[in-house]
Amino acid sequence: MKKSRCFAFASALALLLAVAVGCSSTTKPAPVAPAPPPPAAPAATDVSRQPQPLGVESQPVQSGDVADLQEVAGLKRINFAYNQFTLEDQARVVLEQNAVYLRRHPAEKIVIEGHCDERGSDEYNLALGERRALAAKNYLVSLGIAAERLSIISYGEEKPLVTTSGEEAWAQNRRAEFKVAR
Amino acid sequence: MSCAWRSLAAALALGGLLCLLPAAPAAGAEIEISAPGQQAIPLALTRFLPQEGGAVPAVAEELEAVLAADLDLAGLFRFLDRQVFLDDAGKVGLFSTQVDFGQWQLLGAEVLIKGAYRVEGDQLAVEARLFDVPNRRLLTGRRFIGRPADVRRIAHAFADDILKTLTGEAGPFDARLAYISTRSGHKELWLMDVDGGNPLRLTDHRSIVLNPDFSPTGKELLFTSYRAGNPDLYRKEVFTGREVRLSSQPGLNIAGRYAPDGGGLALTLSRDGDPDLYLLGMNGAIRQRLTNSFGIDVDPSWSPDGRQLAFVSSRLGSPQIFILDAASGASRRLTANGRYDATPAWSPKGDRIVFARQEGNRFDLYSIRPDGTDERRLTFGPGSAEHPRWSPDGRFLVYSLERGGKKALWIMRADGTGGRQVAAEGSHPAWSVVW
Repeated sequence: MKKSRCFAFASALALLLAVAVGCSSTTKPAPVAPAPPPPAAPAATDVSRQPQPLGVESQPVQSGDVADLQEVAGLKRINFAYNQFTLEDQARVVLEQNAVYLRRHPAEKIVIEGHCDERGSDEYNLALGERRALAAKNYLVSLGIAAERLSIISYGEEKPLVTTSGEEAWAQNRRAEFKVAR
Repeated sequence: MSCAWRSLAAALALGGLLCLLPAAPAAGAEIEISAPGQQAIPLALTRFLPQEGGAVPAVAEELEAVLAADLDLAGLFRFLDRQVFLDDAGKVGLFSTQVDFGQWQLLGAEVLIKGAYRVEGDQLAVEARLFDVPNRRLLTGRRFIGRPADVRRIAHAFADDILKTLTGEAGPFDARLAYISTRSGHKELWLMDVDGGNPLRLTDHRSIVLNPDFSPTGKELLFTSYRAGNPDLYRKEVFTGREVRLSSQPGLNIAGRYAPDGGGLALTLSRDGDPDLYLLGMNGAIRQRLTNSFGIDVDPSWSPDGRQLAFVSSRLGSPQIFILDAASGASRRLTANGRYDATPAWSPKGDRIVFARQEGNRFDLYSIRPDGTDERRLTFGPGSAEHPRWSPDGRFLVYSLERGGKKALWIMRADGTGGRQVAAEGSHPAWSVVW
């Protein structure tokens, strides 16, 4: 508070002084003769004393601790059209077969992974992949599988099945996968 | 010191400044240099010379190369050919009375950069000067000390000084880019200089790390990681390495963006099955649901005053960019010309929003005013340009460019000119303020 009042006072004085002196240099043409001697050597900036970011070599090791997920023969992937999450007829047939497996293995819990092809935007695809996983989950629930057994996760375009480009690769990568959590 | 004395001292200093101001940036006063790439001031960039001691050509070459690259990207200068320099370029005198301005005037230079360095063991000292040739005077100068390894930072910092002196606004070169790289075998968070120097890995999650964002101070980062088996939002301190998981709601916790005042963040959560935008406190607690529409809402980007957010929504079918008024919750569509628009980034000055538009199977970058007028295309291939982010001064953009299945990081001027690669591999860049 006191500081700011000081500053206001200083600014007012400065303006007065500037007007009084008439800012004479502004009205003259730029000097051609050698300029007044330069200011004293500028204060040194010590860049090595500024804080440095800490890389991983200086940090404790943090390894991934993700649950082990397994693919099983009885659970098949389904595919989707570009930028779509609605289930096509073929996907419904596969999900009905997957439901048969799940009824035969009532103790197993399943993670449904939603995936996209590489073309869309990364964050949008994370949301789209989740929509795909959710569509598969909802259909399995409608077939009588307990929702508590089914969790979903989206990987967007982060885990392509096929790393090449082109229509065929993209079609394979737009998918939902079903994995057993063990 | 008493208040009165301090006021008088400050008044004298300010009064002097007020008198100086109109005449101070002589080159700047004569040449309108607000927009990059519009004008070209003839610049003589001399090689820095050894001061009392042995020459270390590598230091001089690196200083010159970094300065030249930064100032070239700035787009304000025409570099004079070093071949025509006369003997003043080889003289170490750094006082304006020691410089032979007549030589430089003869060569058509309007601004002149000279400097000297000294290496002693593990110590590096650099004197850097910018002169106004027609008016024969010093415009700015600074003495840097550090280690020989700091040479690039010193050059970036002086480039920032030069822009500050000539345009009134400092450059963004002594800053860092955060980005995602797979160099270690996993997608991890990395940090590097804005020209790609000094890459440093910040995370060791051995999972998938995505989409970093710098806090307004540049000292913290937000990012998403699958480390705990779900796309959760993390917060990391750059200097201490300290890291916490900030938001682990069921489903997506993605694309976190600090509010301009640093007091909260916007992100996408899908906890109830529908991906919508939320506002979190810096403790991770949900403060407000920002959108509630059926459809995907992602990629928030704050207006600099913190009152509005640009974001991507599929509420009308394909992904389009909308503007949300944070207080009222009302939103309006921003882009109407594309079929698939994504990753908006609001400029730090508030005057433009840059975004990626998909046409065919690739993206190009566009820029538009927040009122939806004056849409301009910035990139024209080849390759797919995505994830544009602004430099803190609004002069430049950093983005990823995918060609032949590989994503590299590029920077360019905000008008789309001057593009150059800064890292051969990387994605999801973000530009910090100058530390």
